[in-house]
Amino acid sequence: MIAFKQVQKQYPNGYSALKNVNLQIQQGEYVAIIGRSGAGKSTLLRCINRMHEITGGTLLVDEVDINTLKGKSVRQFRRNIGMIFQSFNLVTRVSVIKNVLVSFVPEMPFWRKLLGIFTEQQKKQALMALDRVGILDKAYVRVDQLSGGQQQRVALARTLAQNPKLILADEPVASLDPVTAHQVMDDFRRINKELNMTVIMNIHHVELALEYANRVIGIRAGEIVYDGAAKDVTEAVLRQIYNGQVEEGSSVVDVRQAVTN
Amino acid sequence: MFDKLLPTKKIILPNGKEVTEKPALMPFVVVAILVLTYMSAVITGFNVETIIKRIEQFFVILQQMVPPTWAYFPHIWQPLLDTIKMSLLGSLMGVLCALPLAILAASNITKWKWLSATMKFFLSLLRTLPTLIVALVATFVFGLGTVAGTVAIFLFTVAYVGKLLYEQIENANMDAYEAMNSMGLTTIQSFRYAIFPQILPNYLSTSLFCFEGNVRYASILGYVGAGGIGLLLNESLGWRNYANVGMILLLLVITVFIIETISEHYRKKLM
Amino acid sequence: MNVIEKQYKLEPNRRVTQLVTIFILCLLFVWSLSAIELEQLTTNGFTIAKNILVGMVQPDLSLLVNVTTSGVPYLLIETMAIAFLGTVVGSILAIPLAFLSASNIVPKPIAYVVRFLLILIRTIPAIVYGLMFIRVTGPGPFAGVLTMSLVSIGMLSKLYVDVIEDLDISILESMESIGCTTLEKIRFGILPQLLASFLSIVIYRFDMNLRDATVLGLVGAGGIGAPLIFAMNAYRWSEVGSILIGLILLILIVEYMSNKIRTKLVRG
Repeated sequence: MIAFKQVQKQYPNGYSALKNVNLQIQQGEYVAIIGRSGAGKSTLLRCINRMHEITGGTLLVDEVDINTLKGKSVRQFRRNIGMIFQSFNLVTRVSVIKNVLVSFVPEMPFWRKLLGIFTEQQKKQALMALDRVGILDKAYVRVDQLSGGQQQRVALARTLAQNPKLILADEPVASLDPVTAHQVMDDFRRINKELNMTVIMNIHHVELALEYANRVIGIRAGEIVYDGAAKDVTEAVLRQIYNGQVEEGSSVVDVRQAVTN
Repeated sequence: MFDKLLPTKKIILPNGKEVTEKPALMPFVVVAILVLTYMSAVITGFNVETIIKRIEQFFVILQQMVPPTWAYFPHIWQPLLDTIKMSLLGSLMGVLCALPLAILAASNITKWKWLSATMKFFLSLLRTLPTLIVALVATFVFGLGTVAGTVAIFLFTVAYVGKLLYEQIENANMDAYEAMNSMGLTTIQSFRYAIFPQILPNYLSTSLFCFEGNVRYASILGYVGAGGIGLLLNESLGWRNYANVGMILLLLVITVFIIETISEHYRKKLM
Repeated sequence: MNVIEKQYKLEPNRRVTQLVTIFILCLLFVWSLSAIELEQLTTNGFTIAKNILVGMVQPDLSLLVNVTTSGVPYLLIETMAIAFLGTVVGSILAIPLAFLSASNIVPKPIAYVVRFLLILIRTIPAIVYGLMFIRVTGPGPFAGVLTMSLVSIGMLSKLYVDVIEDLDISILESMESIGCTTLEKIRFGILPQLLASFLSIVIYRFDMNLRDATVLGLVGAGGIGAPLIFAMNAYRWSEVGSILIGLILLILIVEYMSNKIRTKLVRG
């Protein structure tokens, strides 16, 4: 379970990315975070695995206050969280399986790390992860020979090989064409259902978010403005998230400024 | 290539699927490199101890080069100009001759396969011979002096520019060429108006780059008697007059640097 | 002013530049012609050229298949050994220098100083280094290895830098999220990216070093160059022919192989 309690995030330049965020996410949920670019989606996601430090409040992941973690324990903590990126972030010059095997690196003895020799067991796990996303036949192909959708699946397999409880996905389908995007979203749904992994996903494509996620969180200028079931999201809710004119005094101009910051 | 020779291993996954593991080439490559390195060290008599004990000799010579003999400058001036002239003349003529040869070697322009294949082989044959060896042979044929050096540079330029040029011609867009050919223009005319404009910037840029390299090469050609500043280099090195060597090298570095800067400026403009 | 007029006005401008360029080239051509001293031409040049060609066609076969240390095969192996070891040593020494001259890794002033040093190393002809190293090791292939190492460094580090400067560092972010340490990131995120490119560059340089190594014999730094010049000075053209044939064959084979391997490395 993930719990945000009055979480604040202020960047060194004084820009406030998250303002008083309160949030609870249960194990096994499929959450989509939507909002304009610059609204704080990415920051919210990266606070969960400490890629960003929060500057106020507390953030509990499985009852642990992650702000108390240091050095090695941060890395240990991250082992249980998978992360997927918009640009796939793979080593394109090596084979698919080698990219997946990277997720075992932190647990290996020193000499194996140095020589890059993986155990039979690890190779099997990596292949199983590839099979789960349907690209087992590409295991020994170099990544730069795969399509964008296939590359994102390699990244997904790398995350699955970690066997995490939680997957954070930062705009996973933004650089894919519509058909491939649907396929990758299907993969996420299957993994969420079959393995009961929590999926928290930033996505700017609203239709996809509503189609696949159970729960939608709308964020605007660092504040949560909607939190509810995907089926309850109405036109009015979307206007509130994306235009920010409905309540309060903040105008479009304010949001734009926040974006440019 | 080699991966077919290596034993492959089958991995059976818990869900019953079978995967053929591609054997890793890397360990074999590493072992091969280590073995070859060891063998090379044995053949060449490589010895780390000697390096550690006597490397200061290298720096002794370097030290003797500083300060260079400034008074030597008037003697260097003329041979240095000769070196530049040699590389300029050789490069210019080589670049001009490379064009027709490249056209003949390009399989998309030359209709006879045997001709383009012969030309390609001829160009790669020319490229195999190190310039200094060509210069050496040339001194026997043309006598000692700048002619031999110019010939060596000319041949190298033809081979180098010719090869890059025919590759560019073969990669050029052929649509306009075919259109002109169908309009009744001759091969030469169609080439002139359809292909040439496409390859021209690259051709000029390659030529300039080749000229840069040629100045460097030309500086040592005198070592085998093919004229230019290498002659003095040979002389000063023979007499162990390292201060003079220092002066020559200093002037050479400056010249090469100036020529490279100018040529790089124009090459950037062409791109 | 309409487009056509504009274009028309542009045209003469370019023609002037073209004419000036051609004029300057002609001037340079005429100026450089003065380097040609035809009186140096020996009358028997033609005979010698013919003799060399005859020597190439009728090589000294016993030398070509001779397996002792004075035979062509051994000399070629020695030349290859010089080039190979020189490339290995140079390619290792060039790595730290390349990182020191990459402006995205070290402060700019350091990068510029190291770059200037590399330009110096590259400009000085190999033969000069050869003669200097002979003072260190005595004549022989060992001096050739040291020379090859030094001359390789200049070009290798320059090409390495290009690879280092366009490293894809987005992979580091995902490795961070997996929980990798800095060393693990370098080993599994950076090294695999560098390895293939570096290897391809090194093979290219080996190809060049092989040609340069043949030249080193001229100053007594081992390899096939020395026997070649001895044979020439003694006008033993069939010997010259067999050495040249061996050399050409070797270089052609190595070039073919190195192109094959490099394409495989780049395309995978």
